[in-house]
Amino acid sequence: MRLKTTREHRILYIKTAIRWILYYIVIFAVFITMTSGTWRKPVMLVPVALCIAVNNNQYASAFTGAVCGFLIDISCGKLFGYNAVLLTIFCIVISLLFEFYLRYRFVSFLAISAVISYIQCLLDYKFYYEIWNYENAEHIFTEYTLKVWAYTVISSVFVYLLFKMINHFLMPKTHLTIEETIKSGEQR
Amino acid sequence: MHDFFKSTRFKILLAFIAFLVGIMVYSVTKGGYSISGESFINTISKPFRTVSNSIGMKVETSLDKLSKAEEIYDENQSLKKQVTDLSEQLDEYEALKSECEELRKLVGIKEAHPDYSTSRFCKVIGYTANDPFKSFTINVGSADGIEPYLPVATAEGLVGITIEVSEHLSTVRTILSPDLSIAVKCSSSGDNSGIIEGSVMSAENGMTKLVHLRTDNTLKKNDLMITDGTSGLFPKGYSVGKVKNVDMDSNGLAAYADIEPCADITNLTSVFVITDFTGKREASE
Repeated sequence: MRLKTTREHRILYIKTAIRWILYYIVIFAVFITMTSGTWRKPVMLVPVALCIAVNNNQYASAFTGAVCGFLIDISCGKLFGYNAVLLTIFCIVISLLFEFYLRYRFVSFLAISAVISYIQCLLDYKFYYEIWNYENAEHIFTEYTLKVWAYTVISSVFVYLLFKMINHFLMPKTHLTIEETIKSGEQR
Repeated sequence: MHDFFKSTRFKILLAFIAFLVGIMVYSVTKGGYSISGESFINTISKPFRTVSNSIGMKVETSLDKLSKAEEIYDENQSLKKQVTDLSEQLDEYEALKSECEELRKLVGIKEAHPDYSTSRFCKVIGYTANDPFKSFTINVGSADGIEPYLPVATAEGLVGITIEVSEHLSTVRTILSPDLSIAVKCSSSGDNSGIIEGSVMSAENGMTKLVHLRTDNTLKKNDLMITDGTSGLFPKGYSVGKVKNVDMDSNGLAAYADIEPCADITNLTSVFVITDFTGKREASE
């Protein structure tokens, strides 16, 4: 998008700032819900991190992935940094994938979210239960890992819609439609 | 005018007035009972009067509300404030009551176990998300004198052990976890010792397991298991749980028992940490 005036620049900065503030408010709210109650809950920070990654550059994605990962570690009682490393890597990969190969569409996001959260849940099960040879560890896989994964995939739909709404109002457009191009040409 | 007094009309009216006076006098003599005419009128008019009265009352109330709207509003506001104040007082009272109960329990524990040093009652901030073994976080940390590997309990029984301590928070691993083993014995017989160790299946129901029991054990349902205190990690003689079921291991070499923890581990709100006790193993040991 071509920015013509200082005013447009200023509006862009303000919108970007508000957008990031909203992103982090959502992250914090999700973290709080994850630390409340005793029920099995979706690891909603995974789709949130992915949703941010698909729309932003690799640096921002990596940083957000790390933040979300640390918060998952705290809320799920995992080794501090374990999920941060995983999510940082995932977010960078996803950011690149969406920059070069994929378009931000609901189906593609849902598929990516399902795959990534499955990998995250599976690694969690492998490292925290299976390798310690707990008796009936497979019960944890069916009763916890798979259910949490399913909840996470379902929650991705809501996360997608929420971020779609935030981005709709606050994300600068990367390209103009034919109508917008004609309109801007007429104005000039 | 003079003609009127002489007219028949005047006489009729006079007679009518006299008749009314007569009725009046007659009704006085009835001693409070209605005369038949009055009763008849009352009977006929009763339903109409009832409806009319209710309508009238409603209209009056509505008009009253309108005319006294400001007064009623003020009264409502003042009552609302009163309700808020009373609710606050009730909350305060409930908090004090619960604190008092907790302190009473703590005093009871200290009387029963004079060698214990305990933290204050601390709040359970939250359970670890999606943890099958229900580990949780409490609102005390190193700043409150908490160290890793200190026993955590309620007045009812042992809950777990601190495993990760930060300045103001600590994470507690519960007795439902297979990663925590506690030597216990039966409180009544002082024998039948074994190891309490959680398992995946029992943790699902908020239970734990007593393993490595001798095959000739004499445990029965509802026997209370208490800590043995041999490890130096847990104080001696603290309640852990009750026996629910005793069975043989699949290998036939030992028996096991399902144990229901004395404290409801899946639904904790406050616990305390036992910071010191007789026989405690120091971290350096």
